[in-house]
Amino acid sequence: MLKGFTTILLKELKELVRDPKILVPMIILPLIIFPVLSLVMGYAVNSAEEQMQKSNLLILNNDNGEWDQTFIDYLNQIMNIQVLNNISPQQVIDQNLLANYNSTQFMEIPAGFSQNMTRHLNGESNITTSINIYGVFQGGGIFSDLGSSGLVVYVNAFNRAIAPDIVLTTQSTIINDQVQEGVDPSTLSVLMMSQSLALPLTVMIMIIYSMQIAATSVAMEKEEKTLETLLTSPVDRFAILMGKVSSTVIVAGIAAVTSLIGYSFMMKSVTMGIPIAGDIDLVTLGLVPSTFGYIMLGISLFVTLLSALALAVVMSTFSENVRSAQALVGYIYPLIFIPSMALMYLDINSLPMAIKTVLYAIPFTHPIIASKAVIMGNYSIVAFGIIYVAIFTVIIMYFASKLFSTEKILTAKLMFKRGPKKKQKD
Amino acid sequence: MNLAVDARSLVKQFGSVRALDNLSFTVKPGEIYGLIGPNGAGKTTTLRTICTLILPSSGKLDVFGLDVVSQAAEVRKILSYLPEESGAYPNLTGYEYLEFMAKFNQKEGYDIKSMVNEAVELSGLGDRLRDKAKTYSKGMKRRLLIARALMTHPKLAVLDEPASGLDVLHAYRIREIIKQYVKKYNITVILSSHNMLEVEYLCNRVSLVNEGKIVIEGEPKELRAKYDSENLEEVFAKVVGYA
Ligand SMILES: Nc1ncnc2c1ncn2[C@@H]1O[C@H](COP(=O)(O)OP(=O)(O)O)[C@@H](O)[C@H]1O
Ligand SMILES: [Mg+2]
Repeated sequence: MLKGFTTILLKELKELVRDPKILVPMIILPLIIFPVLSLVMGYAVNSAEEQMQKSNLLILNNDNGEWDQTFIDYLNQIMNIQVLNNISPQQVIDQNLLANYNSTQFMEIPAGFSQNMTRHLNGESNITTSINIYGVFQGGGIFSDLGSSGLVVYVNAFNRAIAPDIVLTTQSTIINDQVQEGVDPSTLSVLMMSQSLALPLTVMIMIIYSMQIAATSVAMEKEEKTLETLLTSPVDRFAILMGKVSSTVIVAGIAAVTSLIGYSFMMKSVTMGIPIAGDIDLVTLGLVPSTFGYIMLGISLFVTLLSALALAVVMSTFSENVRSAQALVGYIYPLIFIPSMALMYLDINSLPMAIKTVLYAIPFTHPIIASKAVIMGNYSIVAFGIIYVAIFTVIIMYFASKLFSTEKILTAKLMFKRGPKKKQKD
Repeated sequence: MNLAVDARSLVKQFGSVRALDNLSFTVKPGEIYGLIGPNGAGKTTTLRTICTLILPSSGKLDVFGLDVVSQAAEVRKILSYLPEESGAYPNLTGYEYLEFMAKFNQKEGYDIKSMVNEAVELSGLGDRLRDKAKTYSKGMKRRLLIARALMTHPKLAVLDEPASGLDVLHAYRIREIIKQYVKKYNITVILSSHNMLEVEYLCNRVSLVNEGKIVIEGEPKELRAKYDSENLEEVFAKVVGYA
């Protein structure tokens, strides 16, 4: 055995366990984050599945043979179906029938279905027939698109019962009440993934980095005592604060712009692969934000970064050195992680009121909500978010300026409960 | 009005700690005045109060007739402060730091350029001023900061442990700088130290601070004679009753 090893190990452990800066982020936080996330994901999967089971499958029967009935009877055994006769897909949409039947997808049995079936079964094996599947593009969370691929499975099962490969499927997507023939919803899921993953992740990383930078810059001034020197110089104290915040504002502004450029590039390259018929553009279809949408998103990102920076500046004035400032802003991270990750999987509108309110109250949620809302053209919610976060920031800044105008800037300290520690090191 | 610092019955309470306990003293213009005492005696707290960084809980403190509480902005115009154990901005060069600080202190007939040139001279750092401050040794940093504190020709320079932590030669150099420069520009200095020998060498008058109170005050020579001691260390030990 190494001499002295256990003594050193025990001492190290004791120190680590007693340091709240290590204990909280390393041990307590994961204990909270993972259960919360698993709850969120469980909820997301459940609600997607529930939605599917609850909803009726609409069947548009435009065929008047004998096989269409066999097919309908077959489906009837497995799920709730509603049959509408002699109606085109566009009519279903125009008459708002999907909403009436609480459904997000439907199948069309096209005219000639039975006839082709019969010919195939009578030996003309090159003749096939098809079922047309239509799904509504929703743009919710990652799992909200489970539906339509499920229907292909049922058709294949029907084939197995009758004859292999007799019924083929075609996939079409309804985007903004327009039927896009031949656009498989799964090609759109790449787009959805980009929307629901990329932006929240970027926002998360940007906020955390900028908070670290701001906290470090203030704490460095405290640690090196350059702040004291400034505070005793003939300079306006509010100018010191504003100078600090403004420099980070500039950084935040640049960060917001560059990340938006990156985001719009990504959206462009992802949507390039989607075969949308001719002259319709992606903005009208509600697949990508408009220029105005991008601007709104940029502003939302900007004010949110600003609020994070202001918060970091205030928090770091409570610490004596860089290390403790960084640890202190670390306590904010759950507020950044949890909404970002939750909204990757969930549509905020599908959440219970209480959770929704909590999420709206956290400033860091708003760019993520905005990223979805600008695509849907729902600008009022984005504007609300911008105003809310701006007010939040002003309050924080007011508090910061109060701190800077008193001796608290030097003497304020968050006391961790570690017994009476009255003697300050001099 | 003819006093540089006039402190009357200063009290500073930090929660349950009474850092200053009825502290009174005066500093005359042109003096180098030393506060000496052990760690935790209240020296830094006194100097911070003079510099308008913290407010006295009670008592009154004037700097050249200006009240540190109600005329804080005026006080800041005439003093400069060297915090204990302070540094510069790690990613700025020494030269940039001097320039930055000079911009706040421009005076008529004394522009930034001559201010910085004077500091360059004072610091004796030469070409190293072109390097980032994070590459400086402790002694170099201290020289840079002393130069910064004195280059503005303040009426009052407040220096908290100006030579602490430095080796004998560096400390000696810094004391020389202070002594000469102050005479040249008629700057009043109040400094703190727990190095009694240093204070004895530098100061016209000293006071011994202990537990927030001034125990004795006077010229070093006078105090040594009064307590029949070789040096101020011995005086201090006798006064607080260790000897
Ligand atoms: N910001 C503060 N908060 C609480 N106590 C403080 C603070 N600053 C100083 N003190 C206490 O005041 C006393 C005097 O400290 P200080 O003036 O730094 O002593 P010195 O500079 O003589 O070593 C010490 O007991 C110290 O712990
Ligand atoms: Mg001190």
